[in-house]
Amino acid sequence: MSTGPNETAAPTPERPRPGASSASAPRVRHLRAHVVIVVWLALALITATTQHTLPVAHWLAIHLFLLGAVTTAIMVWTEHFAVAMLHAPPPDPRWGGVRLIALNVSAVAVLTGVAVDWPVLAGVGTLGVVAAIIGHVAALVRLGRGALGGRLAPVVGYYRLAGVALIAGAVLGGLLATGALGEAGRTGVELAHIHVNLLGWVGLPIVGTLFMLWPTVLGVRMEDRTVPVARRVLWLTGLGLLLAVPALLLGARWPAVAGLAVYAVGVGWASALFLRTVLRRAPRSGASWMLAAATCWLVVGVVADLGLMATRELSHLDPALHGLLPVLLIGFVGQTLLGALTYLLPVVLSGGPTDRAALADLLDWGWRTRLVVLNAGVLLLFLPLPAPVGAVGFGAAAAAFAAFLGLAAAALVRSREGAVTGGAGGAAAWRAPLAGAGIGVLLIVFALVAAGLPAGTTSGGGGSGTAATGTRTVEVELKGMAVSPSRIEVAPGTVLRLEVVNRDTQRHDLRVEDGPRTPMLGEGESHLLEVGPIAADLEAWCTVPGHRAAGMSMTIAVTGSADGGAESEPGHGHASPDGLDPAAEHSDGWEPRSAVLPPAEEARVHEVELRAVEADIEVAPGVSQRMWTFGGTAPGPTLRGKVGDVFEVTLVNDAEMGHGIDFHAGALAPDEPMRTIGPGERLVYRFTAERAGAWLYHCSTPSMLQHIGNGMYGAVIIDPPDLEQADREYVLVSSQLYLGEPGSEGQVAKMREGRPDAWVFNGGAGQYAAAPLAARAEERVRFWVVAAGPSDGIAFHIVGTVFDSVYKEGAHLVRPDDPGGAQVLDLAAAQGGYVEAVFPEPGHYALVDHDMRRAEAGAHGIVKVTP
Amino acid sequence: MTGVDLWTIVRFVHILGAALWVGGQLALSLVILPLARRMLSAEAREGFVGAAGRRFGLLTVALFVPVQVATGVALAWRAGVTWESLAAPGYGRVLAAKLVLFAAVMLLAAAHGWAHGRGRRDLARALAVAALVGSLGVVLLATALSGA
Ligand SMILES: [Cu+2]
Repeated sequence: MSTGPNETAAPTPERPRPGASSASAPRVRHLRAHVVIVVWLALALITATTQHTLPVAHWLAIHLFLLGAVTTAIMVWTEHFAVAMLHAPPPDPRWGGVRLIALNVSAVAVLTGVAVDWPVLAGVGTLGVVAAIIGHVAALVRLGRGALGGRLAPVVGYYRLAGVALIAGAVLGGLLATGALGEAGRTGVELAHIHVNLLGWVGLPIVGTLFMLWPTVLGVRMEDRTVPVARRVLWLTGLGLLLAVPALLLGARWPAVAGLAVYAVGVGWASALFLRTVLRRAPRSGASWMLAAATCWLVVGVVADLGLMATRELSHLDPALHGLLPVLLIGFVGQTLLGALTYLLPVVLSGGPTDRAALADLLDWGWRTRLVVLNAGVLLLFLPLPAPVGAVGFGAAAAAFAAFLGLAAAALVRSREGAVTGGAGGAAAWRAPLAGAGIGVLLIVFALVAAGLPAGTTSGGGGSGTAATGTRTVEVELKGMAVSPSRIEVAPGTVLRLEVVNRDTQRHDLRVEDGPRTPMLGEGESHLLEVGPIAADLEAWCTVPGHRAAGMSMTIAVTGSADGGAESEPGHGHASPDGLDPAAEHSDGWEPRSAVLPPAEEARVHEVELRAVEADIEVAPGVSQRMWTFGGTAPGPTLRGKVGDVFEVTLVNDAEMGHGIDFHAGALAPDEPMRTIGPGERLVYRFTAERAGAWLYHCSTPSMLQHIGNGMYGAVIIDPPDLEQADREYVLVSSQLYLGEPGSEGQVAKMREGRPDAWVFNGGAGQYAAAPLAARAEERVRFWVVAAGPSDGIAFHIVGTVFDSVYKEGAHLVRPDDPGGAQVLDLAAAQGGYVEAVFPEPGHYALVDHDMRRAEAGAHGIVKVTP
Repeated sequence: MTGVDLWTIVRFVHILGAALWVGGQLALSLVILPLARRMLSAEAREGFVGAAGRRFGLLTVALFVPVQVATGVALAWRAGVTWESLAAPGYGRVLAAKLVLFAAVMLLAAAHGWAHGRGRRDLARALAVAALVGSLGVVLLATALSGA
């Protein structure tokens, strides 16, 4: 063998097998594999062009392309090139066939499992993909053992590493596809999945192969420094991925950026080498131009990805990355596939030089036009142009692909005939089963489509009214502050499923009254909601604050029901447990929220982590209410310090909607520290408490009425410098309580009209009547009070005592040695202060809001004074 | 024997029949026929393959199809499936697709027997594989049904 660049692309000779025609066996295998690749590509193309009609189609098209076509192609070609580059004897073709079949069957299982929403099948398919790739990596490793090892043997390292990347990527994908993850870690897993698959499994083999393929296609000798560069680029890209992917998983943005930057340096280095090769001889063939353009798109894609990641929080990255997908999927991956196949198919499928030239001619047909149309299409998709332009771009790219598919199919048919006539029945033996399998698969695909695979076929306003009892699936779109259809009519008893798709850039969800709710859905995400049998009319709405009020609601009406008319029955359904029962008992295991205020810590810097999280809290005897909280309690934890202390508060948003935080105790510009952060994000809020007082902190996200009203508030106590020691200290945060589904129309209306269901101290109606605060006779007890609102203040009074100390909003109004006394600490919403009382003798002293409406509706408690 | 009622038995027979038929096809095409091709002479193979095919075909027509249809209709009746509900998305549509695919598979299997009898080997093989793949699709839809 010569050591020219062409060696590697030549088909490697096979050891003859008994009973098989020796010359055509590898050719037939290539033929079969490429038929499969072409079929996957065709399915991907069909799905992508019809994607506006099917909700899962976007996902499906991408995975038909990457998991079906590209993964099969990579598996076939990396093994082929590895044999050539290592000068190794070819591995047992039967096992190679088994791996390919396992991969393809598993891919079908994954795609079907996700499409028909059957997670078990998707999970089994994922395991199959992983098993096939483990076999593939093992085969690559085995090839390297005892092989002579050509000059380009290091490139095989790219293939092995890529296999490992796919194993990781497939496992992550499986977690996503089977829904094994909750909502919490999804963003990180998605980002890691995308990056490890696209840059690892797909990117590494392409870059590695180009070291050999690029000069081969150009018809020049390799650069002398190719091998050392290939080695270094492998290290850089490998290390970059090794840093970036775990960082993305963990949500650590800057390490991810660093990893991606290292990867980009590797790609840049390789590209520089490729560029030097071009300078010696310009590309002339279709294959070379396509590979060149694809490499350019890779550089654009990686750099753009790096830029996006460096300028955006990870949780906001996903929608932006979707804009980048056309560049990477069509411009880079797809075009590489086109270019490589244009060059390689004639090499591996031809029976001789004339045949090869004819096949090459066939595949080169019209390449200039196709090249320009394809890349213009990608450019249109990449640039931030209005939607119709993007559609034109997609159409152009799709047309270029379809043209290539036609040519490739023609080439395959042609060479199959050649293989049949020339190759003594080897191919003919496979032709019939292959055709049969094709017919079978087509039948299944049609059956799945007919079965309503994405189940969206009865979208639109519903109201056909003819559906018999049974299951009915309706596609529901969230878009433009509306739910469409806004009304669905079903026969009584119909089992209803809603295929909810968010077509909006904002996040939304859909909650069915007394029923299930979707998770918060990002743009393009969908969720299947099993509503179950419908017996009575129901409302469904988006729970993001304000969105329901803006019109994001729908009616599920039972046909023939009394109020089945066109009116949308306001008020129906959000029947909150109005009217608290004062005689009710707290549930077993209920614990009061401790009112004891410990002294300030000595440390001058207070580091606090507050997690915004939704929690069900017993807010009144026997009444549980979903609250939005800082740290799982409403009010959130009380912070205490001295004048001059620094508070470094890390807000982590574990909730499904955006939240922020605002500390009244510190002064700084609201823009940055009080900004709203999305789910999964964190924010550090650092302030110096320059002044003493009893301060409020609360959520800073609009609607603040709703965020505070749903529990996102707490107290910060900054001791006045001359604060005397008291025997006991309690903190009481007063607020209004609004029952009902947070953010629902009914609850928000009550907030707007100032009609709370109760007034509470520390979040619980009457909780200190059920669990009195303790004190001893003659003790000096200090009560810190903060009025959290959201709207009402408080007239704080303790029955049977006289306050000899009143500190309100930064000033001592009464001191113990003053002749005057006080009966009430009056605070407007968001004000704070303290009072002190000395309890004269044992007994039960009621603490109340002396606005008696409020005292009777929850704002009361007992101080139990013992001897 | 609490918990095992008549309907459990009907469902068992339905699933067992499907498993036997699909499994029988798989065994024939993956084990028996390849072995026959390798180990028997051309004449013996011809005779053996033909006899095996006829036996399986007979079993299909005489036992499998009646049992599947009878148990299937009974199960559908019990589930309250009506003709209109077959058109409704969800369970009905999946069931309809399964029935159509099942019918197609049976047609393919019948055509296979015909082609084999006429000595059109390639066509017969293609039809056999198509029927096999198609029947896997029937099983797939059946599993989707039980999840719906
Ligand atoms: Cu909030």
